[in-house]
Amino acid sequence: MAINSLKRLALLGSVAIGLALPARAQDSGPLLDLLVKKGIVNDQEAEDIRAALVKDFAANTSAGKLNLSPALTEFALSGDMRLREQFETQRTIAVPGTASVANERERVRLRFRLNGDLKLQSGWGAGFSLQTAQNADSANQTLDNIGTNYGIYLARAYVSYQPSLNWFFTGGKFKNPFFTTDLVWDADINPQGFAETHTTFLNGKDTFEVRAGQLVMKDNAEAIAAGAAPTTGVDAWLFDQQLVYTKWFGAENLSDVLFAPGFMFYNASTITSQVSGTNKEQAYNGSTKYLKIVTLPGEVNFANIYGTGTQLKTYWDFTYNTAANDRAHQSVANGGYGLPATTNKGAMSWLVGLGYGYGQGKNKGDYSLKADYRQTGISALDPNITDSDFAFNRLNQKGYKFSGSYNLTDFASLTVTYFITSRLNDSINTKAPALAADPTLSDLNSTNTLQVDLNVKF
Amino acid sequence: MKKSILFALAALAATGVAHAQKLVIKGSDTLGAKLVPTLAEEYKAKHPGVSFEIAAEGSTTGISAIIDGTAQIGMSSRRAKPTEMSAAQAKGVNMKPTIVAYDGIGIIVNEKCPVAKLTKRQIEQIFAGDITDWSAVGGPAGPISIYTRNTSSGTYSDFKDLAMNKRDYAPSSQKMAGNEQIAAEVAKNVNGIGYVGLAYITDPGIKAVAVDVEGVALLPSKKTVLDKTYPYARPTFYYTNGEPTGEAAKFLEFTLSDEGQAIASKIGFVPLK
Repeated sequence: MAINSLKRLALLGSVAIGLALPARAQDSGPLLDLLVKKGIVNDQEAEDIRAALVKDFAANTSAGKLNLSPALTEFALSGDMRLREQFETQRTIAVPGTASVANERERVRLRFRLNGDLKLQSGWGAGFSLQTAQNADSANQTLDNIGTNYGIYLARAYVSYQPSLNWFFTGGKFKNPFFTTDLVWDADINPQGFAETHTTFLNGKDTFEVRAGQLVMKDNAEAIAAGAAPTTGVDAWLFDQQLVYTKWFGAENLSDVLFAPGFMFYNASTITSQVSGTNKEQAYNGSTKYLKIVTLPGEVNFANIYGTGTQLKTYWDFTYNTAANDRAHQSVANGGYGLPATTNKGAMSWLVGLGYGYGQGKNKGDYSLKADYRQTGISALDPNITDSDFAFNRLNQKGYKFSGSYNLTDFASLTVTYFITSRLNDSINTKAPALAADPTLSDLNSTNTLQVDLNVKF
Repeated sequence: MKKSILFALAALAATGVAHAQKLVIKGSDTLGAKLVPTLAEEYKAKHPGVSFEIAAEGSTTGISAIIDGTAQIGMSSRRAKPTEMSAAQAKGVNMKPTIVAYDGIGIIVNEKCPVAKLTKRQIEQIFAGDITDWSAVGGPAGPISIYTRNTSSGTYSDFKDLAMNKRDYAPSSQKMAGNEQIAAEVAKNVNGIGYVGLAYITDPGIKAVAVDVEGVALLPSKKTVLDKTYPYARPTFYYTNGEPTGEAAKFLEFTLSDEGQAIASKIGFVPLK
């Protein structure tokens, strides 16, 4: 019954060599079955080899010690660590007759993120992301007091369901499901609530998608204890829907074109107590109902036009708030910051950008350069979700963003980003003597920010 | 005098222990419901001093019993998983599988069901819940009732590997404790479908469905299992801690003997040769 030792050793060796890695002992079944079929070994000998390989796998590999759910078909663990040196200047709007104040700051910051994304059977999925810093619009943790350690927060936790290639549903706190730019959505923010995507596959790789999201922006108390002041609290929801059309042309020259018109609006509610505090919208009941925004982002990509691996990209975004008049009145005039009747209400914002690069940022030597210009009307956007690095979330700004990135290795890159912004409409926030304070929505005259990042991905 | 009495009592006790050997066997219902008890009875007839404790509660319990040292033989209709191997090694247990017989997992339906064969794809779709009505596979309209083994069963996981591309069972599937329970439920339900070991496919009220493999309809039989043409064939195992010794080694030897294999064949398993 016992297999001859020499034969066993030879077979073990050949199977192991054939498999290259002991960790792939689980794959040995077909090879052993073939050896049995050809009469080289019998079933019991094959079983002994299989058991020896599994023991080796179990004893000498980390994977062999994991006891994962049978429902799990794929578990992707990923993350990144970013070390940032940031220099910033915020110049306030000066009271007439006085000099503007320039607040300068230099910070060393780190960002750590750990992501787990699970694919389960029958189209189900789930995942999470842990990261430094509590603010949703920045996972950066400034290196502060030597006596302080830093917290880890749950930045994503979601379930998903894909019953077919056409439908995808997700709920919880998840990656942004919309095609967008950082004119509208800060790339660090993970929306929360529910989202659905329906994809229609057209000719070749062309697709037409309908994306929708019902996003929780703030949970408010609907009722308060008897005897207390009455409340009109209603949860704040953002309803975002988008049509995304992608046309593919080829692997060279004009590669693809993408258009993604959309419309986003809120229910009538209040967004308060934002983590970032005073640089957000000063909330009041019902303020969000004046955000009914048409969005028109898109991009055109060119590939291999200056040699294999090169890419040229043009991208843009445009927004128009159809409730801008009311928004301007509520957001800016509220509290005594009155706008002259003739003033542009800042209903529109836009961004145009150009990018050039080599590779996908995944291999040593890959690089990319990007530059964009944008204007943000004071009523055109929701400042709770716009890019926190551009003018520190303030609206009524115009300016540039420049960035360049170079891959030092396949997994480490160096990135330099520079923002320069200034006030878009000088008739807002005039600091006239009658105005007691700045509306924090638009209280900066100009900003400069330089970020130097070392990124390591794993 | 007192020492002499104590010595005599100790010797008597030792003799008694030597004569009252107890073999603890735990694990697979496929093996433990019919085959191993029958083998045990035959073995006891030849070795009157040996008693058996047999618990057939699923392959997982058999492998766990070897790891925990609570049985000398673990019956299993599936191979030990890497995590079980790892747990065994952590406890200094050397999991040793020995093939004792072959088995074919038969797809069974109610004897009144007109469906005589199914493709491998249809079987996967039925058990995964993609196909929910008999009319989709050539039968009369009616909701399909799925009966499977419970999660501690080796057959439960073997069937997922062999027939379902490792997919999960339909949420509506009903989990049964053993082959006999599945056969009994399918016999009662004209819309039922399930799977059982080869030894149970002739139970009353049910019939085996042929599996269509590239146009060839194959029923589970000793021939199709042994020549490995039947797609849902598998070996069954005794797991021991290293090479078995003592009574466990003798019982294993008996199981593999011509007499033991004849018993396996008579009960419905496929002997090794």
